[in-house]
Amino acid sequence: MRRRDLLVGGGMALAVALVPFIPGINSYYISVIVRALTFIMLGQAWNVIAGLGGQLSLGHGVFFGVAAYAVAFLFNGFGISPWLGLWVAMALSALLALLIGLATFRSRGVYFALATVAISLGFEKVARFLTAYTGGDAGLAVNFRGTAPWAMQFRGPAPFLWMDLVVVVGFYLFTRWLLRSRLGLRLQAVRDDEDAAAASGVDVFATKMVGFAISAAMTGLAGVLHVQFYLAIDPGTAFGLFQAIQIQLPALIGGLGTAAGPILGGAIAILLSEATNWWATVSKLQGADTLVYGVVLLGVVLFAPAGVMGFLRRKRATPR
Amino acid sequence: MIQALISGLLLGGVYGLFSMGFSLAFGVMRIINFAHGAMVMIAMYLVFYAYTLLGIDPLWMVLLAPVAIAALGSVVYVGVYRRFVGRTTLQQLLAAIALGLVLQSLAELAFSPETRALRNSWGSHYILVGGVFLSYAQAIAFAVAVICVALVELVLRFTRWGQAIRAVADDAEAAEIVGQNAQAINLGAFGLATGLAGVAGTVLVTYYPFNPVVGFSLMPIALIATVLGGLGSVGGAFLGGIICGIVQQMTSALWAPALQDLPLYGLLLVFLAFRPYGLFGRRAAH
Repeated sequence: MRRRDLLVGGGMALAVALVPFIPGINSYYISVIVRALTFIMLGQAWNVIAGLGGQLSLGHGVFFGVAAYAVAFLFNGFGISPWLGLWVAMALSALLALLIGLATFRSRGVYFALATVAISLGFEKVARFLTAYTGGDAGLAVNFRGTAPWAMQFRGPAPFLWMDLVVVVGFYLFTRWLLRSRLGLRLQAVRDDEDAAAASGVDVFATKMVGFAISAAMTGLAGVLHVQFYLAIDPGTAFGLFQAIQIQLPALIGGLGTAAGPILGGAIAILLSEATNWWATVSKLQGADTLVYGVVLLGVVLFAPAGVMGFLRRKRATPR
Repeated sequence: MIQALISGLLLGGVYGLFSMGFSLAFGVMRIINFAHGAMVMIAMYLVFYAYTLLGIDPLWMVLLAPVAIAALGSVVYVGVYRRFVGRTTLQQLLAAIALGLVLQSLAELAFSPETRALRNSWGSHYILVGGVFLSYAQAIAFAVAVICVALVELVLRFTRWGQAIRAVADDAEAAEIVGQNAQAINLGAFGLATGLAGVAGTVLVTYYPFNPVVGFSLMPIALIATVLGGLGSVGGAFLGGIICGIVQQMTSALWAPALQDLPLYGLLLVFLAFRPYGLFGRRAAH
């Protein structure tokens, strides 16, 4: 790792970690940072299969939601600590990814994208129907225990900021490693040209399966942290299509297939989301927030497919 | 039982109509138009306002709405999709989703998110045929859908234009060598595909309550119908739609209305795993 990256990255992480110690800080701002970190985490997870592997999953909400429901269910029903539950949740997410992959990865990429849309909507319908287990439309509330570290529950948002930060830094380092690892190189080869990758001995199917499972497990972890923070989960938040579309923004804005991209993109996306929420509330215009999302997504895809990282790299590459 | 079968058939016809244009755009240009549903939704508003403000009967709009939506489709094609023709990339899928979101939120801003229904003189009439209730509006919608699928299949098979579209779909370069303007043909084909969205919206609005999200919420059925019928096949998408309608209504009658879509998702996964080219798709194309 270059010293400059270490300084910039470490400095940023330290700055974020120290935010709760600012005297008199409003916990609202800490909550916004927690939201941003969750957003970044989801972007990092999605980036593994979509950015590195080139497989457009529109169903990542499923992994997020299944993990969140699993942890809440284990805790409410059996008193199992989320610290244990999170492993079950991540394993479930990965298993689900393998099942979806088994059905779709042998045919062309477009079928995978279509299947993931349908699956996430299917999950939403089931979650709304199985009221006894999921709380139906109203959602499921995690039993509240006050500040109880064993139950991963805290009254203030600061511990979540630290936990999320550790995960984001971990995911970043993992992505950096993955980009250079054999698996990462295989994923990128599959993304760039499936036929060429297969011809040079890459097992395309297995590569996609492993990449998808890893991505799903990472998404599951984000789901666990989300449900512990809000202590509630509902079918729309968990499996809704809007959630799946939101997940794509950080990596797209920041730069697909890069390690730092989702972090930059997530930070930009959360500012965007806060600004549009504020605008939608002030102007009383329903749909204003979705409009901004759509326009930004369209603009990035059409005019800046490499995202902010692409812009930074180009700038660095041009001789002064 | 028979009631469910018949209403499933009628509903399925409209699902098929909804899916035909979606399938056509993929078949010719390899474009997955996730904004197809949003275009259907816009057609619904168009017909609704034509009726409430100008008093134009929805049936007349079967001729007018497709023209308007095809015009919108052409603009979208030139502005967004043209650069993606021939390859379904991640960028193309994302652009389509973004476009759908933009159209949907513009509709929310313009028409408010509330759900409406068009109430005209015949929309809620029922006729009783042999002990089975038939919704008048659904029967008309079904008839329009059958006429459309027949017309489109005939045009594609037997007119020079249709042959040109199929030639470009098979091999755009070869078609250009023998003197076809692939860009113009694609534009026309996309206009046809979105025009079908206009027809679907027109017949759907006569009995289906709608809001700005209705298009997006109907897209999964269109996806499933298209995959069942074979991605790219127009007639296949129609039959796929009918299968979806019947399965949905049967599930609703025999099991639970809230779970009416569930077997469809199962069907989709089975098809994706074992027969991704669908019932009528060509294996070679995939």
